Amino acid sequence: MFEVLDPTPGTAPPAGRLAPRLDTLEGKTVGFISNGKEGTKGFFRHLDQILREEYGVANVVSRTKSNYSAPADPHIVAEIKGWDAVVSGLGD
Amino acid sequence: MQFASRSYSADSISAVQELYHSNGWTDGLPIVPPTREAVQECLEWVMMPPDQLIGIEPVRGLAITAEKLAINAVMAGCLPMHFPVVVTAWTAMMQEEFLMHGATASTGGCAVLVILNGPIRLEIGASGSFNALANSDRATAVIGRAIRLCLINLLDDRPGVIDRSTLGHPGKFSYCVAEDEEDTTWLPLAEHRGVPKGASSVTVMAAGAPRQLMNEWTTKPEEILETFAAEMRANMRHYSIHPGNYALIIPKQLREHLQAGGWTKADIATFIHERARIHRREWADVGKGAVVRDRGDSVYTAMDSPDQLLVVAAGGPAGGFGAVIPPWLGNKSYAVTLPIGVCVDCEPPKK
Repeated sequence: MFEVLDPTPGTAPPAGRLAPRLDTLEGKTVGFISNGKEGTKGFFRHLDQILREEYGVANVVSRTKSNYSAPADPHIVAEIKGWDAVVSGLGD
Repeated sequence: MQFASRSYSADSISAVQELYHSNGWTDGLPIVPPTREAVQECLEWVMMPPDQLIGIEPVRGLAITAEKLAINAVMAGCLPMHFPVVVTAWTAMMQEEFLMHGATASTGGCAVLVILNGPIRLEIGASGSFNALANSDRATAVIGRAIRLCLINLLDDRPGVIDRSTLGHPGKFSYCVAEDEEDTTWLPLAEHRGVPKGASSVTVMAAGAPRQLMNEWTTKPEEILETFAAEMRANMRHYSIHPGNYALIIPKQLREHLQAGGWTKADIATFIHERARIHRREWADVGKGAVVRDRGDSVYTAMDSPDQLLVVAAGGPAGGFGAVIPPWLGNKSYAVTLPIGVCVDCEPPKK
């Protein structure tokens, strides 16, 4: 008989909480946080167009991380408070 | 000893294996059952209580405790005497400049290369001779494996979960090398990086797979090193132009020619820094013309400065081989060297 130990943390990492869902995107400000990779350019350009033309988004704010392998820079995170929604996209 | 970890009962060794495999707690190979006794022996060896905080993973705020490292180290096959290396390597990996989350989650698929220096190599039987970058000995095999099992189980660095590697490389099973300090006139890597003489230490580097080279047709240091530089240029053309820590693994045959010519590690680094550089226009030769743009004449160096080169004396006694180990993604991650047994909370590690 073996008594063996769990190698994992056993508890979930500190989780963020989802912001309340928006009823509509009409007139809202949406922020994009890009990792800056080549593939993000076309993706976000297209998404910007869709959000404005099809969903009536008022403003799209585009920001790019200084290091695509690290979390978003603090000054970008600080801006999020001023947005109604965020799209954080990966691109390769 | 009181453990925080949940325990499981299994009535046979095969039941233990199935328990761990079915929960996704392994690297695909069989594990050593992490019993309370085995885990306790590791912790006693390093004189740490189970809840000793080794560090906080900086991106997701995960607390890494000695108990969890020990469980994974036992699973990897570590004996208690191997455990100080695992603890120190993990302490080094959690330094901000290592960028552990990026390095272990990236599509780039690097592994954590662990380089051992100092007396502990001899105490644990870590060999820097035959087959130095592979299954050279028990100690380096299990230490390297423990690093990966900890990543899998503590950071959820499972393929397709946090680990998004496109390809990865075999070093992700185990990637640990001991410098052959007894058979070289060169200063050990750790001493070059500021660790006092005689102290045991661990260097970690977010590293691509080794690129093996061969030059058995000269004894001239410049010509030997030109082959290393050419391999680095090839990496810059084919993989990444970002400057950063490269490691050169120089086995005895080539090493002796360099040493006979009076070349120190610092001399090697100065030469390599001069030679390992490319023009951006060279990318057009390898199918990457689209990103040359109007900057074809720009010159890129493999390292920002010579001291970014990690020169390691290791490898079997015969064969004109060597290896270049490239960085994951240049300066996005810096190699970190820590002496074993230091308290990083007592004073900040030297940059």
